[in-house]
Amino acid sequence: MSGHLTEEQYKSQVAAVWKSTLWLSIITVVEVVIALTLGHLIPKFILNLFFVLASVLKAFFIIAEFMHLKYEKRAFIISLGVPLIFLVWALIAFVVEGNYWLHLNFPK
Amino acid sequence: MAEVIEIKEEHHVHQLPTPNNGEGGESSALNISYGKTMMWYFLLSDAFTFSAFLISYATIRISQPWWPDPNVVFKSFPFMAHANVPLGFVSVMTFVLILSSVAVVRAVQEGHRMNQKGVVTWMFWGIVGGVFFLGCQAWEWNNLIHEGLRPFYNPFGPNEAGKTTLFLEKMAMSPGPVAFGALFFGITGFHGFHVFTGVCLNVYGLIGAANGTFHKRGHYEMIEKLGLYWHFVDLVWVFVFLAFYLM
Repeated sequence: MSGHLTEEQYKSQVAAVWKSTLWLSIITVVEVVIALTLGHLIPKFILNLFFVLASVLKAFFIIAEFMHLKYEKRAFIISLGVPLIFLVWALIAFVVEGNYWLHLNFPK
Repeated sequence: MAEVIEIKEEHHVHQLPTPNNGEGGESSALNISYGKTMMWYFLLSDAFTFSAFLISYATIRISQPWWPDPNVVFKSFPFMAHANVPLGFVSVMTFVLILSSVAVVRAVQEGHRMNQKGVVTWMFWGIVGGVFFLGCQAWEWNNLIHEGLRPFYNPFGPNEAGKTTLFLEKMAMSPGPVAFGALFFGITGFHGFHVFTGVCLNVYGLIGAANGTFHKRGHYEMIEKLGLYWHFVDLVWVFVFLAFYLM
């Protein structure tokens, strides 16, 4: 970021932050309301998928807008994003293993 | 000659040297300062640490046939002794942490326009939010410990219908999965430690802004770096909230 901002740039950045705040609040409220009311009606798998996607969306708002990553150079964003592929792989591998333990210990 | 002087003045304002000819030296290929770059890569490594904890949690939880229902475990609210407010208190905590993060973003923005008073005010509110969050977490831990939750003992077990019940009064058939306590205290504790560290760093930033140290440097980059750390703490909470309270 450069040292000087025009008044319009400043105002649009402030507005963008408040907009992200509003989105974050709305998503959180919707998540909690759904967890409390629809918890028994919707299949667990779909419910959890919704929670995961909503959380990833919240993470996007925080990283892109609050941490200002959206405005950095593309090469920098890629250098931070690509290593996260390992985490996705670790999550899949471990969840599959955990599921295997379940069936090993508690066969139907 | 006149041109040279102009460039010098430009450097005086907080701005990175612009020419990027790939020859190294002072120019930066990514157009981001060294300090911020290093903070980002530290946060990336910290993300791996947190992910290791959360992935362990997911693995253990999925390997269990039964797990305590968060709507039952986290239903207490301060000053309402026998209230049944599932997820109420933790929603307040989440909201406070988001607002605290927003306050620090505002401080960074005021720093860009060299508004010292604005930086100080918003940093102050950011710190208030962080301290409030820590207080809430202390209360919640205290409450769960009183209910009998320990790192190696979990009183929230299933009753005959499979609903989450406190084992204390022998209502539940058995105590719950043992790992629940260790994972809960371990992960929320590690996050709480980050919040505490962040509050300390933000206090340092507040003092530096208030006594004009950053203003004399001609830029508020320190606030930006502290801000990155603080937003990361908020970011991690999104996933801790997901793992322990929503799912």
